[in-house]
Amino acid sequence: MLQAEALQLLCLTASSGVPLFSRGSSKQLPFSIIGSLNGVHMFGAGHGAQLSSCETEHGSRVVWRVFQESLMLIAVSGGGGSAISELQLRRLLENVWNCMVMVLGQDELANIRNVERLKREVRSCYHLIDMLLERINDGQGMMGYLTQCADCVPLSNSGRVQETLDSFTQAADSEFGCLVVHGRVAHATEKWWSRLAPQEVVVLLALVYSLSGTSSCDYPVFLPQGSPTVAIRLLCFQLLPGVQVCVLCGPKPSLYQAGKELLSRFWSPLLETLRGCLEQTDRSILPPSVNLRWDVQALLLINRESRRAITVCPRVRGGASANATPLLSSARRLELLTHFYTFAVTRYFTSEDVSPASPASEPAPEDFSQGFTHVPVQCYLVTDECKCYGLQSPQHQLYLLTDLSVPTFALRSVATQTLSAITAATGF
Amino acid sequence: MASRHFTEAVGTHLQSDSRENKEEKGGHDGSDDDSTASSYSNTGSGFSDDLEPEWLDDVQKNGELFYLELSEGEEEALFAQVTASQSAATNHVRFSDKEVEIITESGKKQADSSNKSEAKFKKFAKILRRRQSSKRIAVNRKEGGAPQRPTSILKNQAGQQPGVVVHQQRLKDVYVYLNPKRLCSSSPPSPEKGGLLEALLGVVHRPGGNAGKRGEKLTIHALVPHSPASKCADILIGDVLVAVDDVDVTSENIERVLSCIPGPTQVRLTFETVGPVERCVYSRLKPSPPVSQLVRLLWGEDTVELQMSIAHIPHILMYLSLKLDSESPQEEQEILYQYPVSESSVQLKAVRGIFLTLCDMLENVTGGQIVSSSLLLRNQLVHVGYWKEGSNLLVLGVPASRVPLLYLQTVIEGVVRTLKVMYGSLDSAFCEMENGSRLDHFFCLFFQQLIQPSHLIDSSRPPTPDISGTLFLDGLPAVRWLTLPADIKVEVDTVLSDFESSDFGDMSEDFYGMRRLYVILGSCLFYKGYLIANHLPKEDLLDVCLYCQHYCLLPLASEERVGQLVVWREVFPQQRAQPSPACHPGHCEPHGRYFLLIVGLQHFMQCVLLESGGCASPALGSPGPDCVYVDQVKATLLQLESLDAGIEERLCAPPTPCLSCADWFLPAGGRDRQDAVGTSPILNRLTAAIKPPSPGSIGRNLFGELGSGLRGRRPSPQRSLSDSGSEGHVEGTGPFTSGLSPFATPDTVRRTPSSGTRRDSLGSGGSDGSGGNAGFFKIPRLKHPNPFYLGSLKKSLTERETEEMHNVLKLTAGAENTLFHYVLMETVQGIFIAPTHKEVHQLSGSIHPQLIQNFYRCCLSIRHVFQQSLPTRDRRGSERPQSTRGLGPVKEHGVLFQCKPENWTDQKKPAPMMTYWVIGRMLLEPVPQEFYVCFHDSVAEVPVEMAFRLSFGLAV
Repeated sequence: MLQAEALQLLCLTASSGVPLFSRGSSKQLPFSIIGSLNGVHMFGAGHGAQLSSCETEHGSRVVWRVFQESLMLIAVSGGGGSAISELQLRRLLENVWNCMVMVLGQDELANIRNVERLKREVRSCYHLIDMLLERINDGQGMMGYLTQCADCVPLSNSGRVQETLDSFTQAADSEFGCLVVHGRVAHATEKWWSRLAPQEVVVLLALVYSLSGTSSCDYPVFLPQGSPTVAIRLLCFQLLPGVQVCVLCGPKPSLYQAGKELLSRFWSPLLETLRGCLEQTDRSILPPSVNLRWDVQALLLINRESRRAITVCPRVRGGASANATPLLSSARRLELLTHFYTFAVTRYFTSEDVSPASPASEPAPEDFSQGFTHVPVQCYLVTDECKCYGLQSPQHQLYLLTDLSVPTFALRSVATQTLSAITAATGF
Repeated sequence: MASRHFTEAVGTHLQSDSRENKEEKGGHDGSDDDSTASSYSNTGSGFSDDLEPEWLDDVQKNGELFYLELSEGEEEALFAQVTASQSAATNHVRFSDKEVEIITESGKKQADSSNKSEAKFKKFAKILRRRQSSKRIAVNRKEGGAPQRPTSILKNQAGQQPGVVVHQQRLKDVYVYLNPKRLCSSSPPSPEKGGLLEALLGVVHRPGGNAGKRGEKLTIHALVPHSPASKCADILIGDVLVAVDDVDVTSENIERVLSCIPGPTQVRLTFETVGPVERCVYSRLKPSPPVSQLVRLLWGEDTVELQMSIAHIPHILMYLSLKLDSESPQEEQEILYQYPVSESSVQLKAVRGIFLTLCDMLENVTGGQIVSSSLLLRNQLVHVGYWKEGSNLLVLGVPASRVPLLYLQTVIEGVVRTLKVMYGSLDSAFCEMENGSRLDHFFCLFFQQLIQPSHLIDSSRPPTPDISGTLFLDGLPAVRWLTLPADIKVEVDTVLSDFESSDFGDMSEDFYGMRRLYVILGSCLFYKGYLIANHLPKEDLLDVCLYCQHYCLLPLASEERVGQLVVWREVFPQQRAQPSPACHPGHCEPHGRYFLLIVGLQHFMQCVLLESGGCASPALGSPGPDCVYVDQVKATLLQLESLDAGIEERLCAPPTPCLSCADWFLPAGGRDRQDAVGTSPILNRLTAAIKPPSPGSIGRNLFGELGSGLRGRRPSPQRSLSDSGSEGHVEGTGPFTSGLSPFATPDTVRRTPSSGTRRDSLGSGGSDGSGGNAGFFKIPRLKHPNPFYLGSLKKSLTERETEEMHNVLKLTAGAENTLFHYVLMETVQGIFIAPTHKEVHQLSGSIHPQLIQNFYRCCLSIRHVFQQSLPTRDRRGSERPQSTRGLGPVKEHGVLFQCKPENWTDQKKPAPMMTYWVIGRMLLEPVPQEFYVCFHDSVAEVPVEMAFRLSFGLAV
């Protein structure tokens, strides 16, 4: 029996039902169960009924999805205290597939010739897949896997770093360069934002984050949407512990050349600046120029146009009165933020889910917001722990968690003030 | 079962025949009640001239009764509509004439046959009577409505216009839906009883004197009631069945042909008909008047056609057995019940293996019961809900477009509870053969309400609640309540209490020294679908209400004047069925049986819960309705009828609390505005908006102690204004009404503020009632007819008056009334209040209906959040350990919507925007309440304040 809060990911070949792998923290499900889970879906498909998900009374869920008519991914979640939502499971399956494509290429996965060989090759994705599974509820403040927007960290003195990144990328014969701080994008070239699909950015960041221990590496990657069949090179260098720079490039330059010449030429003068930035981001994701109200517990700001997101979860209260209630644990706040985002996006707001990659035949989960005749633009929740406020404008989505002490009628102005304060200070 | 008013004897011999039959039946049954009943009914009911109540024939074998009769006004209107669409009404005449003759013959033939067939014939005769009467009315219309003896019309017409009648042998095709599975498989129908022809199709063919003769023509001599043939109005007595699905049939091979029908299917029957093929007869069915659609469904007619109309939408209900008997594997043996048996469900039925496997497997894997799954069927997302009961599984599949996933659970819980109330348990509902056709009817209604509610309710009537609205309001564990002025309320309660005391005088059992048949546990009273009095415990009320909701009795009573409605059935109230955990020493709940009696007259409907056993005599077998009790309820309702006007006045009174229409908040486009202002509806809206201080019945009640000026206006001028809109001046209304009479142009309305009276009232400040009098209708100087006068009105009132108005009439703060819609649910009482249909209708604009639809959809979501945060109960009743799940307990949830007018033509200016909140709040203290409100964004509101203000006026 699956334990509560456990999560299992199964991968089988869609046509024959041969299990490729099964990942998850808990004990692997018995083969008979895996077989039935797959069989149920296959049986339905044979009768023209495509099974997409199911739920039990304690919040356990099973979500099925077939990719490229070749691989079937099944996510099984145990219910219990913090049940994983269907949206999270769907995003998980999509991210896992994208990771597999990124590492192995679409040809390999779509046309399976030798199952045994594929089984061996897929092992190279395990570390990424395991990371994705852990990230479902880990409280690290990375929401990109759910929001399909790149997690960002806005730096205060951004002009010089951006210039350096641009010229470094250019020197590396590439248009796609990115500076990563603790797995979040600090800066990226213009093409990085405009040409890469948000889903690609999310899995690329996951890959870069998983490489953070290495000082430099040259990794062949397939872009799930941009270049699913032709591999390109991902060059990744560690500038400081926690700060990496990476470029997507063609055959040139070699890793040695780039590491030896370009790195020192462009980045050495900036190391002190970067160190300062790193210290600042350790204190707070937001630059010090942004004055957040003290009663804001956490927030998620999404730029809907550039598909970037900032997650803020203050460690300490600035300027709080002495008798203010203590902050919730940051893990709980991020959990609440995740739930609130899922809640708002599945019911009211448009989720940024228009991925051209997913073919039309894929079962779209029910879109509750489609049923509204008028457009929901804001929403709030008052719970026992905090108050949540969400607002959506053509450019932004803001999800805000505040103390219970904030009067409900003031939530709206708190939210709009916060939004304008952040956008004014960071140009996000 | 259908029945229509029958005033004049159509065929005297027929009626007397049926009377005899009834009496014979009574004697045959030998029940004591029956004989006493018939003697009672004569004296007890002052309005029925018959010796026996009309509904007596409809009582089924198991004692259940569902008898619905429209009032005559409705019937006439209905048939008038029909006649309008018919061109050749004369053709009916001939037919009817023919029918009568045929009946007489068959009646004579059957006179010496068994009792059973007599009973059948009696029913048949009644059907005929009904048909006859309908045609009579049709003819009457044509003749200018002169009441004449129908038979004579028939005869005359036939004689005078023989040329019209085409005596031609013609063929007609009729599609009939047959289900061999409904037949009792144990005993194949014997040929003497008419064989399959009678059992399956419902066609009675009596091989005449030349029986034995081979290949005899299959003339239809009679139709079995409730059979497919009789439900399909195209098959007429005297027709000759010549082919089934193009296979020629005679009396020789018909049984063989019919036995070849493997499963439920639609067959094409070809008939040779003597008369002209009358399309017009069928046209009565196809574009049938929308009013009657619901009634027809309740009558059990025409379900196939409605079913066909939703055939393209996948939906299914199955009751599956999880225990498979592997020793005798039979095809589809695990399906204990299924509806519908049509193409819409074929695909879902085919994948039932998925449902069974998932149910079994997920319990093993996750330890929890499966509640729902989603699958994609022909590019349509279908949600499947599950309910496991013992070793059986109830599966309900509905398209996501009709039922959002987050409300599927509520829907399925509603069905299960209704079935349990009606049958005791799911197993007894589904596993007993005889329930088959009843369940078909039950689920036909269920899916019709779920999938195309608008088909059942006339679209011309007040804004049809869209699917979200129906889902939300029906899903609330509460009944719609209508607040009444105290005097009426007291009177209603007194009358009900009198009835519940069971003191029927010489009609009661006590009078004759007998033990009481039933104890009246309580009753509740509906007026036009609103609950106006309830003397039932909450859970019982909800059980009763579920039944009423399911059979659409509430909308029925509000839309049509019910001539007579009598429902009787055994019920299994859920609270009483379960052994109560709290044991009081020395007290044990009586193990009685419970019966539900619903009687409707006009717009009133009373539901009575009766108990037998306990201190009343135990019920034996399946007793039918008792005439005394039915008559007593009727008498109660008749007594209440005098209150009709008062309640109607309350319904017509302008909305309290005051509501605004969304359209007022949008500056309309130039052209539209002219149109809108020119019509009287805007005036109605104006009055509706100004109305709050008007002495509506509620207002009267609350303002009773106010100054004399107020009392003087009691005749409620606003009512006539906002209601009819065509009446002239009403006495005693002062200058205001004259200014705002329906004939006044908007300009006069605008000008009136400058008139002297008004300016005076501005200064008067309202120290007492007389000051308030003028002040009430003070209209501030405005460039546009702004409906929001209330803010300034308040200033001119005394403090206390302002206070009261504030509490009761206007919920929102600020100068303008910004409240659009609200729903308040009292969880403890099991009631909710919401603006009445009429109030909503008065506010009809282009955006407002959309807003209300949105409101309800949003409420679905809000309520789902509340539900999740409540201490959830397992299906098995044990309390789950409360965990901080997801967001944790939610107390309040609001959504801000933005809307723009549709078809904004002005390209230069950006479309105006209107934003409004939909907010829900759950209160646990002091009394559990749920409160949903929709208001304009202009004012920062504290919803809890509004909730308290709203519940202030709610006295139960």
